[in-house]
Formats: sequence, C-alpha cells, structure tokens
Amino acid sequence: MKYIKSFSECDSNLNLLGGKGSNLVKLYKTKFNVPPGFILTTKAFKTFMKKSTYQKELEKYISKKIQPKEVLSISKNIQKMILDSEIPTDIEREIEYTYTKLKNNSHNSIRFAVRSSATIEDSDIASFAGQADTFLSRKTFQQILISIKKCWASLYSPHALLYLEQLKKMGKKISLDQIFMAVIVQKMIHSDISGVIFTTNVLNNNHDQMLINSVLGLGEGLANNIVIPDTIIIDKESCEIIRQIIGKKEKTVIPDLDNACTKAVPTDITSTNQLCISNNHIKKLHQIALDIEKKYKCPQDIEWAIKNDELYVLQTRPITTLK
Amino acid sequence: MKFLGKGLSCSSKEDALGELIYIKTVQDVIALFDNAQGKICFVQDAGTTTLGPILSDIEGVVCTTGGPGSHLAIVSREFDIPCIMAIDIKTDKLPQLHGKNVKIRTEDQDWGVLYLVD
Repeated sequence: MKYIKSFSECDSNLNLLGGKGSNLVKLYKTKFNVPPGFILTTKAFKTFMKKSTYQKELEKYISKKIQPKEVLSISKNIQKMILDSEIPTDIEREIEYTYTKLKNNSHNSIRFAVRSSATIEDSDIASFAGQADTFLSRKTFQQILISIKKCWASLYSPHALLYLEQLKKMGKKISLDQIFMAVIVQKMIHSDISGVIFTTNVLNNNHDQMLINSVLGLGEGLANNIVIPDTIIIDKESCEIIRQIIGKKEKTVIPDLDNACTKAVPTDITSTNQLCISNNHIKKLHQIALDIEKKYKCPQDIEWAIKNDELYVLQTRPITTLK
Repeated sequence: MKFLGKGLSCSSKEDALGELIYIKTVQDVIALFDNAQGKICFVQDAGTTTLGPILSDIEGVVCTTGGPGSHLAIVSREFDIPCIMAIDIKTDKLPQLHGKNVKIRTEDQDWGVLYLVD
C-alpha cells in the first residue's frame, strides 16, 4: 500500500500519520486495546492537493498571510475547492480495498469513525483540540470517502485558521503550508460510557492526582460541551477517590444509525444523580493511565470508551498546559 | 458584588474582570474580532471551539455545560485564560446580563464563581 497504513504495519511517525494517528499506532503496538482501523497518510493528502484541479489556487491561498477579517471567505474558498476535487483513483482504490477488508472482518452492524490527524494535532506544541473535524457513525464506502474529504477540508476551517493565528501571537510560529492532514478510519465503539483521564490533575496541576471525566454514551457529549460530565479526582498512587462531583448528564449522545451521524437523547433520570462509572472501571482506567504515561514519559490526556465491560483507548496526547 | 453562579474553574486561577458577552452564534464571535479585549464570553452547549478565534484576546470564558476534559477547557488552558465550565446559573437571566461587568474568581481551590460587578 502506498497511501494507507494499518495500525499493525507501521511505526509511530508524526509527519506521515499526524499526531493522533502516530499516538494511536504507538498505543496499538504497546498492546493497548485500540479499536481496529487504518490511516490514510499525509502522502495521500499531499497527492490529493497536488492533483486537484484547483492546485494553483489552493497553493496561493495556503501560502498567503491571512488577515483575520479574510478568514471566513478564504476558508470557504479553500474548503469548497477541496470538496469539489476528485480523490485520485489510485488512492480511492486503496481506501476501498482496506475499507472492505475491515468491514468483512466485522459484524454487520459495524460503523466507522473518520478522524482527523493533522501533523500539529496532539503534538507537544499544541493540542489543536477540536479544531479539525471527526465524523462518527459512517457506514458506506461513499460516506467514508466524503468524510475523508471533509476531514482534509477541516484543516482550513475558520476556527482552525484562526487558532493558528492565535498560536503565532503566543510565539508558537506554525506555517499553514507546513501542516498536513492524515485521516484515521476506525471501527466505532458504540460505548456505554466514555470520557477522558488526565494523568495529572489539570485543575490544580497536582502531579500526585489524576482527573477523570465520564459521560454516558459517546465521548462527543463531553468534548463538545453537550453534557455536564462526572468529575472524579483520584490519588495517583493508591487510586483512592479524593473527590467526586456528580455531573448532571441530562443528555446522552448515541449513534444515529439511520442517518450516519450522532444524536443527543434525554438521559434516564435515575442515571443523572449518580456516577456513571463504577469503582472497578476507575481501577482499570487508573492502571491503563499509569501504563500509558510510563510509555510516553510525560503527563497524558487520554480518551477512553467502555462497551460491555471492555475498555478501549481512543486517543492519547501530551497535556500541553501544565505549569 | 452579586453572586451569579458557580462551576468548575478549569484553567487559570487569576481573577478576571470584564464585560459579559453572551455568545450564541459564530457571527457573535466575528463581531468581536477587533474588540475582544476586556470581554468575558458566555456560551451555552455547543459553544466549543467557535471561541478559538478570540481566545487569546478575551479575559475569560464561562460555559453552562462541559467539564475539564471538554475541548473548550483544554484550549482555554492553552491560552491561559480563566474558564468556568458547567456553571450553575439561571439561564433565563442571561440575556439581561449581556453587556454587564462581571468577575470570575476562583474560590476553595477550584470552584469558579461568577459575580455581577455593576
């Protein structure tokens, strides 16, 4: 394969797999429970951009210094050109082959998550958290192809462009034409509970504590401010709960299987006034978080999901904000 | 100062003082491009990253939902601005608070409290 790498066949490589992809491969190779999938590398993105009918205009926009007031129109133009361009046939064939293989090895009800993985994302320079897009609950090959183009285009969304401008103001100079987008296509976990665990308590920068956020259903409810999560602070060494704040969790985000997207539904009232995560799950998470931090040698922000008592690791990134 | 509501203080523990701007759409954010300084932005659910464009200029963020692990909180920490998530506040009062001077203060370690200063 020229443009696609499966999790098992490649090594961690930020420039080829992007931040999220690179970290996922490392997790997979260390035998953490990562849902199966593949990565369309930055080589595919570069080839797509180079072969686009709009190649010259795209190059001009991307190398240009952007004024904040121009961002909306420039972003709109770049994104339209990307969505209107065809994916080169050799790249499309590789995607179809790998997608079909993954689909045939799974249950009939399988859905996919199509996730952005920019070369700046989840790096130790910046989190880029939420700046580029993820598409959940995709099923057909056509839905996957469209989502891949949308992931590429999301590198140039108004908030992504302006986020980069803001980083420049803070002295972190990152040029747009030096950022590339890999895309992860992964089996989606229709989780019962999801969340994050920070291996340092980010509320007070206490390295002797960990902080867990948990929600019912998909993690999108937490990431995108749809739900008030449970917040649990545990002792890093003993795993003893130091403090717990029960979040309202009034909504639960679930896959919308008919429409290839997700939806927020009201949570059963009895689940809103208690922690949604059990002590056993907290213990499992604590151990996995310790193992991941040890592997990465710095404090981590880890996304996780639990389905039928099985714990999956969806992502890890360095905590970029500790003092 | 009048107590308005309390949530989790998820970023800088510095006090923040500013004019409360109730953000409902991306257009509200664009309107702040050139005059975001001195503002404290209030967003309800799904406000998330639309604040990215102005985060380094505003004084603080307040959000009715989410938690320390939400993207908005993570990015607020990157820009080191005070950020209250999951604030417990009567939302029907929000439109009246638009344009008023408010203060974010961290109390009891990591509770973020919003006060009306006017």
